[in-house]
Amino acid sequence: MEIRITGLKKYYKSEGNVIKALDDVNLVIPSNKIFTLLGPSGCGKTTLLRSIVGLEAPDEGEIQIGDTVVWSSSKNIFVPTEKRALGMVFQTYAIWPHMNVFNNIAYPLQNQKRPKDEIESRVREVLKFVQLEGFEKRPATRLSGGQQQRVALARALVAKPKVILFDEPLSNLDAKLREETRKELRSFLTELEITAVYVTHDRVEALALSDNIGVMRSGKIIEIGEPKKIYFHPEHQFVADFIGRSNLIPASIKSIKDGMSTVTTDIGEFVCSDAGIKKGSPAVLCIRPEFVEVASAEGPRPVNAVDGLVHSMVFIGEVYESEIKVNDRLVMVKLPADTKLSSGDPVTFHVKPEHCLLVSE
Amino acid sequence: MIKSQTKLTWVLIAILALLSLSPVVMLLLGSFSKGLVQLGDFTLDKYKAVYGDISFYGILGDTLVFVFFSALFSTVLALFLAYLNNRTDIPGKFLFKIISVVPMMIPHVLFAVSWSLLLNPSNGILNLIFTQVFGMSESPMNIYSIGGMILVEGLLDLPIAYLIISPAMASFDVSLEESSRVSGAGNIKTLFRITLPVLRPAILAAFILCIVRCLASFAVPSVLGMPANITVLATYIYKITTTGLIPDYGKAAATGMSILALSISLIYVYRYMTRSSEKFITVSSRGFKPSVVKLKGAKVPLFIVLIILMFILIVLPVLVLLYTSLVPYSMVPSAKAFSMMSLAHWKDVFTDSISLVSLKNSLFLSLVGATLGTILSIFVSYVIVKVKTRSAGLLESLSFLSFSFPGIVIAIGFMWLFVRTPLYATIWALLIGYIATYLPYGIRPMTSAFIQIHSSLEESSKVCGASFLTTVRRIIVPLLVSGIVSGWVLMATMFFRELSLSVVLSRPGTETLAVMILKFSDDGLWGKLSALGIIMIFISTLMVVGANLIGNKFRPEAN
Repeated sequence: MEIRITGLKKYYKSEGNVIKALDDVNLVIPSNKIFTLLGPSGCGKTTLLRSIVGLEAPDEGEIQIGDTVVWSSSKNIFVPTEKRALGMVFQTYAIWPHMNVFNNIAYPLQNQKRPKDEIESRVREVLKFVQLEGFEKRPATRLSGGQQQRVALARALVAKPKVILFDEPLSNLDAKLREETRKELRSFLTELEITAVYVTHDRVEALALSDNIGVMRSGKIIEIGEPKKIYFHPEHQFVADFIGRSNLIPASIKSIKDGMSTVTTDIGEFVCSDAGIKKGSPAVLCIRPEFVEVASAEGPRPVNAVDGLVHSMVFIGEVYESEIKVNDRLVMVKLPADTKLSSGDPVTFHVKPEHCLLVSE
Repeated sequence: MIKSQTKLTWVLIAILALLSLSPVVMLLLGSFSKGLVQLGDFTLDKYKAVYGDISFYGILGDTLVFVFFSALFSTVLALFLAYLNNRTDIPGKFLFKIISVVPMMIPHVLFAVSWSLLLNPSNGILNLIFTQVFGMSESPMNIYSIGGMILVEGLLDLPIAYLIISPAMASFDVSLEESSRVSGAGNIKTLFRITLPVLRPAILAAFILCIVRCLASFAVPSVLGMPANITVLATYIYKITTTGLIPDYGKAAATGMSILALSISLIYVYRYMTRSSEKFITVSSRGFKPSVVKLKGAKVPLFIVLIILMFILIVLPVLVLLYTSLVPYSMVPSAKAFSMMSLAHWKDVFTDSISLVSLKNSLFLSLVGATLGTILSIFVSYVIVKVKTRSAGLLESLSFLSFSFPGIVIAIGFMWLFVRTPLYATIWALLIGYIATYLPYGIRPMTSAFIQIHSSLEESSKVCGASFLTTVRRIIVPLLVSGIVSGWVLMATMFFRELSLSVVLSRPGTETLAVMILKFSDDGLWGKLSALGIIMIFISTLMVVGANLIGNKFRPEAN
């Protein structure tokens, strides 16, 4: 089911200041895909999610789920949460401590007054789906973090909602379990015909899990795209920086020719793929450390080559995280773990034009 | 260091055992003794006399009705108030804070008396208004009834129930409710299927604690029950010790054993429940405020209910006492009544030597007792929190024991003890009894203060180059002060208004204020009683305010 959000606004007053939690959000979340809202804390992503599920009432705008308008300020519509027939996994899982696993999961079906035997078979089915067979009688207080997470997922799925919402559901798991669960969650969700909206501040989680990512800042959605697009071709400096480590270097456009822009920066000239930024307007050159290569001493000098001195090297296992000093600027690079370079050595590096991103300021 | 800690632990265990175990042992021995106050000649006679008497079971029945419904009333009302405060947009939230402070200032016996002044059948002010102003032929309400006792006792125990339920409600993880809403349950269904069941341990704990308090309650049954010939166990014991030429303390002890046994078992259930409730505690990691239920149309009526309740709990008793202290006899407030007002009752009190003695005694017991109790509490809490040996655990259990002591019962135990010592009929007997019975109230705030002082706080102070004394001065004392102050105030106000121990242990010359109030009430000296009562309330309030001012001085530097 598609979710259509139009002109959504939500303001908070805090100590005399107005905080724009949602600042005119317009968004279409495509049907049966995993859509992630990504952004730093306080960007409004959770407020947006809670508005969709109806736990929070925005000030202005409209939310439409499928064909139903569930919230509209102009038409004065507010469908209460319990009538929206959605599933949701909370950050704290919100497993009810006074019920066993079966009753926790059966609860949505009991509220729909489904027959007993149907409830039983459906709960068993969904427990099997989340690989918790035989856990029906287990008290909720005797579940591990990962198991609670699965029970919460099972409860959200049991009534076969068309939309499921996730509010940072992995943030309470330890790193290793988080990685496993992430993979599992993606395979669960792609198996079902369901629209998933997922809120997180973890960029790796967003990249690994989503079909589409919407990056939010200060109550606005500033960019939407598939993970690869967001990673390789972000349009905004903020997105480029938030989605991965980047060297952000102020640049001015010198010329545009054959789909390539040439820019001048304080570490030299670069040829980049054209991003549609006009000559003369301010731009930022964005170079990810992993795309910086060390040029070999032989052969012709490659495009976008820069000379510098190795300034620092930190060994972190797979690679060296290193800084190269060019003029007064430190450029973050990743050097192979078996590199012969060491601090103070002169070095020449280059970046392929397709990895030199130009973003607007 | 370790050695001295062990020594300290055992010294404290010895002191606490002497304080809280010896009266229990004496009570037990006394209940099996043949004589009226002499130990020995062990026999079951006293038990046969108490439990073989058919009228005992009528008293037991009344006690159970009184205790059960009072506790129920307090708990339901506390639940309602806690919900209003924590989960709705009701205005005037500061009023809820008052609920937890006020009972310290208005003694139970005065609260009961003020209700009697309002609603007693012969000349209660409200009843007079109904008969004289509205022309009713007879008084419509009678506070001297089991219903009246339940109403007043329920209001008195409301703060205890509220102080247990409200924090549980406040720390409630709202996502438990939100996920219920998402699962298709409405507000009401969520309340009954999720909110209340999750809070069940706190609600039950509050209920049990209220039961224990009602069982021990003496003020309400004696002021409101005795005139109607409604006797509960506490007043039954009192009657045994005050009738006959030589009171039969053995029979009183045998009766007391059943209250004590019940109280101790209930307190153990309570401890078990509050311990197992920890598994229900769910702390939300999100900074989101609990979703507030909008009261809409119900907002104004509920706010009015709240205001009325506050008025009944705080303003009314003080007003009634003040009014009664100024008029010559019970009359409807009118121009005539105001013209007849005088300070005669006040002059009476200030020239009455027994009243002044009781004031002096209560002040002494309150100030000296609370200070000694606080010092003892500091040591006990230190050992409980910082010394984690098995003997420290024993100390903790011991310190918790007197929490379940019904004052009048334990006073009978002390009676058996003191009768054999020179302490008998001295003010020191009262002092020891008070500290033994109310020590847990001093220990609790102190323990939570000590828990705050994580050892890393002391250690990092040392690492920063502070000497031991500097660490004590800059780190430990400031963190402890609020605990010390609240423990001291709690004990000082409790000692100042203490009734149920005093009524058994005080003798001519060692009367306390509450005992005097009760005496005036028995004699129908309402004006004098009210004047003394207002003095009592004034001094209690002064203690609370003064101690808070001192506490604020030492609060963290940022404040």
